[in-house]
Amino acid sequence: MIRGVRARLAITLVALVALTAVLLGAGAYLFVENNLRQQAIADAAAQARFDLSVTVAEAGLPPSPTVDDLTASHLLDRFHQRGVGAIVDLGTNGAAVSEGDLNGALSTFPADLRQRVDGGQLAYAWTTIAGTPRLVVGGRVGSTGPVVYFVRDATAIDAALGQLRVALVIGTLVLVLLALLVARLIARGVLAPVEAASRAAERIERGDLSARVPVTSDDEFGTWARRFNGMAEALAETIGRLEAAEAQNRRFVADVAHELRTPLAALVAEASILREHLDDLPAGSRRAGELLVADVGRLRTLVDDLMEVSRFDARAEQIALEPVDLGRLVRAVVAARLAEAAVQLPDAPLVVETDPRRLDRILGNLLDNAREHAAGAPVEVTLHSGRDDIVLTVLDRGPGVPPARLERIFERFYKADPSRHGGSSGLGLAIAAEHATLLGGDLTAVNRPGGGLQVELRLPVTQSLPHSDVTAIDAADAGTPTQSQQETQP
Amino acid sequence: MDARILLVEDDPSIREVTAIGLRSAGFTVETAVDGAAGLERFAAGGFDLVLLDVMLPRIDGLEVCRAIRRTSTVPVVMLTARADTIDVVVGLEAGADDYVKKPFEVPELVARVRAALRRAGRGPEDAERLQLGPLTIDLAGRSVARDGTDIALTRTEFDLLVELARHAGQVLSRDILLDRIWGYDYLGDSRLVDVAIQRLRAKVETDPAAPHLIQTVRGAGYKAVR
Repeated sequence: MIRGVRARLAITLVALVALTAVLLGAGAYLFVENNLRQQAIADAAAQARFDLSVTVAEAGLPPSPTVDDLTASHLLDRFHQRGVGAIVDLGTNGAAVSEGDLNGALSTFPADLRQRVDGGQLAYAWTTIAGTPRLVVGGRVGSTGPVVYFVRDATAIDAALGQLRVALVIGTLVLVLLALLVARLIARGVLAPVEAASRAAERIERGDLSARVPVTSDDEFGTWARRFNGMAEALAETIGRLEAAEAQNRRFVADVAHELRTPLAALVAEASILREHLDDLPAGSRRAGELLVADVGRLRTLVDDLMEVSRFDARAEQIALEPVDLGRLVRAVVAARLAEAAVQLPDAPLVVETDPRRLDRILGNLLDNAREHAAGAPVEVTLHSGRDDIVLTVLDRGPGVPPARLERIFERFYKADPSRHGGSSGLGLAIAAEHATLLGGDLTAVNRPGGGLQVELRLPVTQSLPHSDVTAIDAADAGTPTQSQQETQP
Repeated sequence: MDARILLVEDDPSIREVTAIGLRSAGFTVETAVDGAAGLERFAAGGFDLVLLDVMLPRIDGLEVCRAIRRTSTVPVVMLTARADTIDVVVGLEAGADDYVKKPFEVPELVARVRAALRRAGRGPEDAERLQLGPLTIDLAGRSVARDGTDIALTRTEFDLLVELARHAGQVLSRDILLDRIWGYDYLGDSRLVDVAIQRLRAKVETDPAAPHLIQTVRGAGYKAVR
């Protein structure tokens, strides 16, 4: 766009300058040429008149002179000495010339010239004889005398005009170059603020709200720059306010969760003792005691999840990678969370570099979700590895989720079935998705055609194990990490 | 089991319920509400184990732990609200033997206390000496020397070193070490092992950055050189 403006400006200016230069140059040239030729004609005509009436008359030529008469009169020699060529048309007696170049030139003269001169007029013509430009002025001596053509060399005029033409062309070119230069300078001056504004806008687009346009002038650009800066100011202020509110919000959640921890710690400890003695309670209060113990568990889950979410929001999470035997991890988590789930693992051990605590949280939360939303239904956990990723699927045979709500189940506190009140915090799937993102993978959910929800964790595998990066291991028990691990597991 | 436990915890509810739980498990419990009171009580002597909250008013739990360590090898179990790796490291550096994350269930705490007491009460099994590279481990005297110079190890570090040295050349997984050293019969936090190994290396290795005596076997665990 900027290049376009620059080019348009240059083209317009150069065209204007070139047109002006050509018109002026052509005018000046025509004027000078006309003057030069008129002057030459006037000089030649005055001289011719004088020569016809005085110089030729004084030569004392007989009527109807011959070439010999003219030679004897030395008239042509005198013209020749003066530097003027002459041709005397002797009619039927032929023609006499003052120099060899002019032999036969008479017949090349324009017919118009010869008619006028024969008719008694003084006339002129521009012509070329022997390759040289000449000015020819002719006239008749008296009313019946011979016709004389004076031939002058016009090379000087043509040379002068040629020089003028060269000068004019060079001048025009210089002007065009100057115009280009000026166009560039103007473009720079005009476009510099536009470019500065463009850079500022680009910085704002990238999120740097402190970018401003320099206000360098009081013209339209200056006004515009002030407007732009005002807009950026307002934008930065609004976003700053929103961010502050958001941060305050998050701090509040973190503070709430934190403040809940101490009373919760007391509640958990108390409930754990109460649970041991439920049987000692009178029948009337036993049920309340059971509910209390269960609700403390729910509260604990909620506070733990809130703390986890606020750690995500504070971006305080760090990943600790280590080689993990995924099959072993999946079996352990399923055994702890939902032992009745069916587990399908690949035949070969699958060892990858990942953060086992996060994987534990993801799978655990998926299993909790399946247990809660598909209570009693069969649950299948499948692990398999693709070419550059591993896929862990948790499939339940429950009622599934209405399609419209499917994409929202990873939102915080989103409940696919609002009437359901389970032991979960409503944060489990959101937390699982956050962990998956931290590990570089993602979570997706689909309804199975036969009914039931299928949640899939896809993790990219950048480093495939087992590999040789084993710290100082002896040749004696060298082997894959998985193998040595299995050896020591009774 | 008639062990005496000092419980230092500022929150009255947690203090009371924890004391109730420990007493009904058969322990004798004395309580203190802050670090200064805790140190005062401890100075009176006679405790078999100290349960110490990390966040205490006046003198915090880590400081109390360091003060106790200056005069005693009594087992110290920290109660911590946060269990980030850094907190575990700081706790172990202060000389704690174990930590229990809040919120905890009382039976879980009792199990951990019993495990810590069991380890502390584990007498010299035999007048055996173990050799690990340049280290001489005196099991009866519970001391370790390198070229005749004694190295001061905490109880946990000593037990860890003995366990590894007894199975020199064999890889021990984190879970196994958790079970044998800390007495966890359930899934514990394996970071405890990693941090303790680091602490041990810092004391016994000539170059802890390139450990020679105690080696990491990626994806498997740790082993001592044969």
